[in-house]
Amino acid sequence: MKQTFWGFILIVSMLLGKVWAAETIWFGNSAATRVLYINSALDLASFEPILNEFVAQYPYIKVAYRDVNTLDLYHLTVKEHNKPQASLVISSAMDLHLKLVNDGYAQSYQSSFTDRLPDSFKWRNQLFAFSLEPIVMLVNKKAFPGDMPEDRQSLLQTIRQNEKTMTKRIGTYDIRQSGVGYLLASQDARQADVTWGRLLEAFGSHDVQTYCCTHDIIDDVASGKLVLGYNLLGSYASQRAQEDDRLKMILPKDYTLMLMRAALIPKGAPNAEDAGVFLDFLLSDNSQKMMQDQGLLFPIWPDLNSQNDPYVVNAPGPTGVIELDQQLLVGRDYAKQKRFIRNWEMALEISDED
Amino acid sequence: MWQKSLNHQNLSEEEEQSALRKAPSLRFRFILAGFLVISIIAGLAINLIFDYSQKLADLSYDRLLRSALLQMDENVGLMRNEVSIDIPWSAFATLAQADEDRVFYKVESLEQGFITGYQDLNSEPPQPPVLDQMQFYNQEYSGEMVRFAWIQRHLTDPETAQTVRIVLGQTRLSREAMASSITHKAVEVVVFIALVAITLIIIGSHLVLRPLHRIERALEERTMGDLTPIEINTPKETHHLKVAINHFMARLQTNLEQLENYTADAAHQLRTPLASLKALAENARDINSVDQHSTDLACSDRQHQALDNIVKQCDALSQTVTLLLNQAVVSHRLQTHRLEPIDILPPIKASCREQAVTALHKGVRLSFDCDLKETMILGDAFSIQQMMQNLIENAVRYSSSDEQYDTEVIVQLSEFERFYRIQVVDYGDGIPDLEKERVFERFYRGRYDIAGSGVGLAMVKDIVDHHSARIEIVDTEPKGTTFQVDFAKFRYNEGVL
Repeated sequence: MKQTFWGFILIVSMLLGKVWAAETIWFGNSAATRVLYINSALDLASFEPILNEFVAQYPYIKVAYRDVNTLDLYHLTVKEHNKPQASLVISSAMDLHLKLVNDGYAQSYQSSFTDRLPDSFKWRNQLFAFSLEPIVMLVNKKAFPGDMPEDRQSLLQTIRQNEKTMTKRIGTYDIRQSGVGYLLASQDARQADVTWGRLLEAFGSHDVQTYCCTHDIIDDVASGKLVLGYNLLGSYASQRAQEDDRLKMILPKDYTLMLMRAALIPKGAPNAEDAGVFLDFLLSDNSQKMMQDQGLLFPIWPDLNSQNDPYVVNAPGPTGVIELDQQLLVGRDYAKQKRFIRNWEMALEISDED
Repeated sequence: MWQKSLNHQNLSEEEEQSALRKAPSLRFRFILAGFLVISIIAGLAINLIFDYSQKLADLSYDRLLRSALLQMDENVGLMRNEVSIDIPWSAFATLAQADEDRVFYKVESLEQGFITGYQDLNSEPPQPPVLDQMQFYNQEYSGEMVRFAWIQRHLTDPETAQTVRIVLGQTRLSREAMASSITHKAVEVVVFIALVAITLIIIGSHLVLRPLHRIERALEERTMGDLTPIEINTPKETHHLKVAINHFMARLQTNLEQLENYTADAAHQLRTPLASLKALAENARDINSVDQHSTDLACSDRQHQALDNIVKQCDALSQTVTLLLNQAVVSHRLQTHRLEPIDILPPIKASCREQAVTALHKGVRLSFDCDLKETMILGDAFSIQQMMQNLIENAVRYSSSDEQYDTEVIVQLSEFERFYRIQVVDYGDGIPDLEKERVFERFYRGRYDIAGSGVGLAMVKDIVDHHSARIEIVDTEPKGTTFQVDFAKFRYNEGVL
């Protein structure tokens, strides 16, 4: 609730000194009368073709797109809850999105498209997932010492064996800044607590680099500044790995987390009608196919016969789908979150006071 | 003779149809009553089901809530003198079984304050807090009705003691869905049963009323003169109706028989005097033609005599007709009037007065002998008067005009312990013992030399029988006949009416 997180918001705002500033990018005919505001934590590289296709199909709607970091997106939505600016909010931080719905910031929407969505991909008819992607490791083939790591164990081994090479050359999310980063870390801790502990310890002792955003990590891996990026979103990594020979995407063999990207319509949102239209469009076969064919996102219903095979998840080991239900609230429990972040900071030997 | 409809008319078919339409329907009432009763029962059942399904849903989902709360509670501990909680994932996985329900919770310590969860959640339970005792209650939160589980307990370690309070709630969507699905199913069953019951009632009403239709048909299909009892098999419930109809028809038959008797009586009574009247008239007509040689004077004398005879015969005929009329009235009264308490004296006196003159014409002295003041019996005054008239007439008729004895008829009324006795005493020739049995038979006449109808005493017997009285013929000393009739006294205390 607002009050509950008010303090947290303040702290975060002060820490980051960040203003809710995001560039608005327009799509569609400027003469279009209907405006659809989308706040999203989706990189335009992956989303732009879909938006273009949408405005082509619905020429009377123009889309105002704002790219916002997952954590900021959450706070922005809470902050604007009295008079939301966005008609649709899209995020990969499933837990924060679910919390928004649980705390009553979203409104219901129902259509034939949402109805055919399996129950595990929606919640309360207020939160709808439209993609399911693996969480991967991205490796710089040349810079990486020894064999490519298959799973977290072999990664640990590589780190131990190549301490010098690995120091300061592993990148992952700053869980304090990235909503999705926190989600993935907490899910790692939940899936395999011991492995996570060792990994965190190894990261700490080898000065892991923390980032706010996926693309910065990928850029640094590509340039060779980093040899490995840990817990990256599959869609971005896959897209870059296909274009860039230097990069290799690895789905960890011990377990591969599967993450959904989800959308919600804020309560009291302007032009909720077109938000629904856009949601239906995202869930349509056409868009789902487009995500796969053009290598944009991992669709919920991948076409198994499609040419673009990498977008069908073929995990070498078990997959751990992060379930879109009330359990996500546990990870965002105030006390648990505080403790988890403090442990993370202690392990990585970084502290706000420094 | 009978009570009849005032304007007896045959209804046309159309009128009958419209009367049928307007008439209240037994079947409709039956079905309506059944329908109402079943609706009320079904309504009550549905009401109960609503209540019950709500309770059932709460019961099952409260188990989830309890389990989740206990899992949370288990993970509360003291760390460096501060309460800490590490909510297990499984607690919320339990709650996620109510897949659409939002979850709210709050953990606080009375000493330390808010620990985690939703800070603005009201953690005061509706009932006074008891340690370690879980409470469940509904409370609105975040715009929705939420089911809360509440628990409070002490945490102690050597250095500190704290009271921790955990509130965990989930919205009621799944509960409502479960309750409504139970209700839906149960209501379906109830409605189905109700419909079946109503259908059975409709069919049953048809079956139940079928014997009535059968009786109705049996009556409709009868030939005009058929008064034999209905002999169709009917169930117990319509048996009485059948019996009543049969009794009614039996009564009707008696009435008809009496009517027939009466008609036969009347024909019989009228035929003889008419025949003799005709003979006398022919006689008078033929006086001239037969006896042309006789003198005119003699002729007119005989003619006069013949005419005199005709007049006498006419008188007799008129008397007979009056008698027949009276008989008709008496017979009607006996059938239609109830007996009521009356004083027996006035009708006796009245008939004595009426007969006194006629008796004198015949040279008979009629006397009435009674010193009673009140003589109440249960009876019909008119009938008793007729009875007396007949008895007196009879006595006068059979009184001999013997000079040796006074030709007189005495009417006496005397009181006994339980009854009043009326005696009509004559000093005629008396009735032989053999005939005493037969005098009450219709058309029986003791002596054909004396004019009489042969009907009067039969009527007397009818009246006596109708009053449950007793009639006896005894001989008068030294000669003659005494008719004595005993009427039971009317007793007020019996109050029979």
